Amino acid sequence: MDTPAELRYSSDHEWIRVEESKVRVGITDFAQDNLGDVVFVQIPEVGAVVKSGDSFSEVESTKSVSDIYAPVDGTVVEVNELLESQPELLNSDPYGDGWICVIEISDPTQVDGLLDAAGYQALTGD
Amino acid sequence: MTLKLSPLDAAHRALGAKMTEFGGWDMPLNYSAGTLAEHRACRTSAVAFDVSHLGTVRVAGPGAFDALQRALTNDLGKVEPGRCQYTHSLDVDGSVADDIIVWWRSAEIFDVMPNASNTDRIVGALQALGGDGVTVEDVGATRAVIAVQGPQARSMLSAVMPEAAAVGRFRCIDVDFDGTTIVAAGTGYTGEDGLELAVPVDRAADVWRAVLSVGIEPAGLGARDTLRLEAGLPLHGHELGAGITTLNAGLEWVVSWTKGDFIGRDALAAQKEAGVSPILRGLSVEGKRPPRADMAVMSGEQRVGTVSSGNFSPMLEHGIALAFLDPGIEVGADVALDARGTLLTAKVVDLPFITKAG
Repeated sequence: MDTPAELRYSSDHEWIRVEESKVRVGITDFAQDNLGDVVFVQIPEVGAVVKSGDSFSEVESTKSVSDIYAPVDGTVVEVNELLESQPELLNSDPYGDGWICVIEISDPTQVDGLLDAAGYQALTGD
Repeated sequence: MTLKLSPLDAAHRALGAKMTEFGGWDMPLNYSAGTLAEHRACRTSAVAFDVSHLGTVRVAGPGAFDALQRALTNDLGKVEPGRCQYTHSLDVDGSVADDIIVWWRSAEIFDVMPNASNTDRIVGALQALGGDGVTVEDVGATRAVIAVQGPQARSMLSAVMPEAAAVGRFRCIDVDFDGTTIVAAGTGYTGEDGLELAVPVDRAADVWRAVLSVGIEPAGLGARDTLRLEAGLPLHGHELGAGITTLNAGLEWVVSWTKGDFIGRDALAAQKEAGVSPILRGLSVEGKRPPRADMAVMSGEQRVGTVSSGNFSPMLEHGIALAFLDPGIEVGADVALDARGTLLTAKVVDLPFITKAG
C-alpha cells in the first residue's frame, strides 16, 4: 500500500496534509483497498464545525458503509464536490483527486498528535 | 473456526484475489478489477466464479425420486433426467430451510445443491426421509464448481470446451474434458445466460485455467451478490429463511400443489388461505447511496416494511433493494427508506431490476 511520507495519519485511516492553517483530509490507500469499490460519499457541508473523533462523513462501498472521523477540531471550509458524481476517485486516487474536505484547524498543535507515515504503516502492518 | 478452502484457493491467491468468509468458506470477494468492473463484465461479456462452496448432496437409488418429492416443494415429475430444477426445502412451519438447484443426472441419481452453510442440514433432512432404496451422500469435497456467466459465456467458452458450452438452459450433461468427465449444467445466479461446471478436484485448476485462457475474467462473491440482486434473485438468510415462506418471497411457482404431500405443505396452504403478508418487492431508490438490509421502509409516517438486501446497482447507477412489504403497498407506490436518519426516496417496482441481455 502507498503511504506518502509527507502526510500525517489518523488511526481511523484518514490522511491529513497540512496546508498552513488548514488541513486537507482523505482516506488512505489501505482504507480504500479494504472498503472495495466506493459508490457513494456523503460529503460534509461547508461551514460544519467538527470535533476530533466525531463522524463527519460516510463512505459507502458495494460491501459496507464506513464513518469518516474528523482527525482534528475545526471548521470545514472546502469540500470535494466531484465526489458526488465520481465517488470512485477515492479508489483511483485516494491521496489526490479523491480528497474529501479541507478543515480550518482550531488548534494546530493537534497535528502533532497524529501518526507519521512510519507510525501508520506500523498500525496497518504494512 | 477454520475456514474451508476451495480446490481453487491457490489459483485465487495467485490472481491477487481479496478473500472473504462466506458460509464457513474462505472465498474470493473480488479480484484486482474490483466488484463493479466484474459485475459489468458479466452483463456485457462473460466472467467465471468459483462456487465450490455450494454443496453437492448425491441422492441415489430406486427410492430417490419419491424421497425428493417429499422433501422439496417443486415437482420433479415436470422434468426428467438430464434436467435441472430450482426448488425449496421447507421446515414444517413453511419457513424456507434452503433454496436448492437439483441436477437430475440420470434416472436414479440426483445432485442436490444447497447453499454452503445449509449443506449439513440438508444432508440430515434427506437422510431422515431416506429409508430403503435411497442413499444420501455429501460429495461436495470431491469436486469444484465453476460458474461461467454472461451473454458471451457460451461463445467464449466454446473455443476450449465446445460440448459444455452447448449445454441447454436448465439441462445437465456429462462432457469430456481432456480425458476427465465433468458435468455441465445450464444454470446460474446472475440473471444472465451461462453454465456451471462440476469438475473433479484434481482437474479443477486445469479447467479454471482453460476458462480464463479465452479471456473470461474471474469474478468474486461481491459481484455475484450485486448481480443476483439486480436479477431479483433471493439469497438465503436475507430473502429466505426462518419465518419466511416461499409465498412471502413471491416464489409460488416453485411450489407444486398437485404432486402430493411434501414437508411444509400444510403450513403453506394455510398461509395461502389466510393471505400472505409480508410480500417481497423490489425498490428502486433515488441516488447513488446504497440501501442496506434491515433499513425501515416508510410510507409517510407509517412503517410498511423492511429491506432484506440492498446495494448500488452498477448497471442502473442508483440504489436498488429487495424488501418485505405490507401486501397493501403495491407496485408503483412511493416509499422512503431510513438510512441512518437520512430518508432515501424510493418506488416499488416489478422484479427483476435488469433483464437479460439479448
